Amino acid sequence: MKGGMGALFILRRGFGIMRENGPAHILSIGTIAVAFFLFASFLLLPLNFASVLEAWEKKVQIILYLKDGTGEGRIPQLTEDLRKEEGIREVRYVSPGAAKKSFEKDLAGYGGVLKGLKAEIFPASFEITVQERFRTPERIRSLAARLDMIKEVEEVQYGGVWLERLSLILYTLRWGVWVLGGVLVAIIVSVTANTVRLTLYNKRGEIEILKLVGATDAFVKLPFYLEGGLQGLVGAGGSILLLLCLFHLFSAKVAPYLSFYFGQLRLSFLPPHMIASILGIGVAAGLLGGLFSLRKAGGI
Amino acid sequence: MQKDRVSSQPSVHTDASMIQFFRVYKTYPGNIRALANISFKIEKGEFVFVTGPSGAGKTTLLKLIIRAERPDQGEIVVNKRNVARLRHSQIPALRREIGFVFQDFKLLNHKSVYDNIALVLRALGHNKREIPKRVRQVLRVVGLEEWVLKQSPLKLSGGEQQRVAIARALLNTPAIILADEPTGNLDPDLTMEIMDLLEKVNTLGTTVVVATHDRSLVAQYSKRTIPLYRGQVAA
Repeated sequence: MKGGMGALFILRRGFGIMRENGPAHILSIGTIAVAFFLFASFLLLPLNFASVLEAWEKKVQIILYLKDGTGEGRIPQLTEDLRKEEGIREVRYVSPGAAKKSFEKDLAGYGGVLKGLKAEIFPASFEITVQERFRTPERIRSLAARLDMIKEVEEVQYGGVWLERLSLILYTLRWGVWVLGGVLVAIIVSVTANTVRLTLYNKRGEIEILKLVGATDAFVKLPFYLEGGLQGLVGAGGSILLLLCLFHLFSAKVAPYLSFYFGQLRLSFLPPHMIASILGIGVAAGLLGGLFSLRKAGGI
Repeated sequence: MQKDRVSSQPSVHTDASMIQFFRVYKTYPGNIRALANISFKIEKGEFVFVTGPSGAGKTTLLKLIIRAERPDQGEIVVNKRNVARLRHSQIPALRREIGFVFQDFKLLNHKSVYDNIALVLRALGHNKREIPKRVRQVLRVVGLEEWVLKQSPLKLSGGEQQRVAIARALLNTPAIILADEPTGNLDPDLTMEIMDLLEKVNTLGTTVVVATHDRSLVAQYSKRTIPLYRGQVAA
């Protein structure tokens, strides 16, 4: 009975302390929310960047331009050899004539200019679609290098440079988010510790009395841990709500324009386990802040 | 909670003593000697003055009793607990047996008188329904009327504030009341009122220890005195 009453009272005291020191807490929660907003945004970025990369990877084609003078008779054999190559799903031969037609179709508006172009100036080529599991920058690069060894091949083209750049950015983002996360957690711990310290200072009279009348350590300290934890939780929760609002706004207003460049984008918000982790980090950082300030306060 | 008994200490007697100091020394950082070789015994139900000028060690002595300070040497027994050897987790249990009254009352001015008193009961885990009853009960003991309950301590006179502080100290029906210069901020009439109240508490069976530098106050009451001078019991 007493334990239950005590827990309820400690909880109410924790909220009471936050209410009494309202402006400082609002400021502190605001700072925590901004810090978590940055962290959560950086988590969201690689998450969606990966889906853009995935969409681009699906479009990846390797084009093998053949040397002039490669006889039409070699094409069936080359096609067969390419189909046997590991990682290749589809092989399509594009003759100089077909290439010319395609070129004319793409540049239909400039019809007059293209008149008189001979089919011979368009090299014959193979358009190669890569198997799904081979659609990574490393594998595509290695496949392209193998295909370049074929003696009839003049040049190999693929979106490799872009893919590599994109995946490098993604890699940097993925690591950067943890470095940033570490820095932000340190900031959150420090902000919470300072606010709790301020509360401790304001409450020193009450704490002294409680200690003198025989209140237990848990009774005296728990509201301050609670204060830190709640600050972290509310700050982290607020940042996720803010990010969610902005995400929906972005999805509705900006994403359609981006689809022109990246194709149909599948934008996704942070999955539940990431949201839970952010809230957990918020609570843990807040508790840590409370712990540090109580440690510094020494006698309490 | 199991008490830390000292029966194994041959030179320390626990019989009917409520407080016992045995060759206690206390020095603060900077080699400031607060108490040296202090030995005395206060019996259960006794009313004792600890006297001496400022800096004599009166407050340190009271702090040692509630384990707000730890002695460098010697043994202190309070209500059969060896205070010097108490574990940190056992200190709250010791303090629940002691009520403390301060010169500056130490009331929370942003809370009502009711909340000042009730806070202690809540902290000690009393049943929510019992709290108002207990607050009114203890208020009657110190001779205050119910109207003060809703007031801020700042709206009360010094004497009334000290009565509230004594009410708070009495809440847990302590075995001992320690009062550190309880009349230091009061005029002579209010001083008498507070001292009479402490005497009344004493007649109810509570051991009372009053630390004061006021010789005239001590002279008005025929109580045992422990005189301190420069950290030692004066001859």
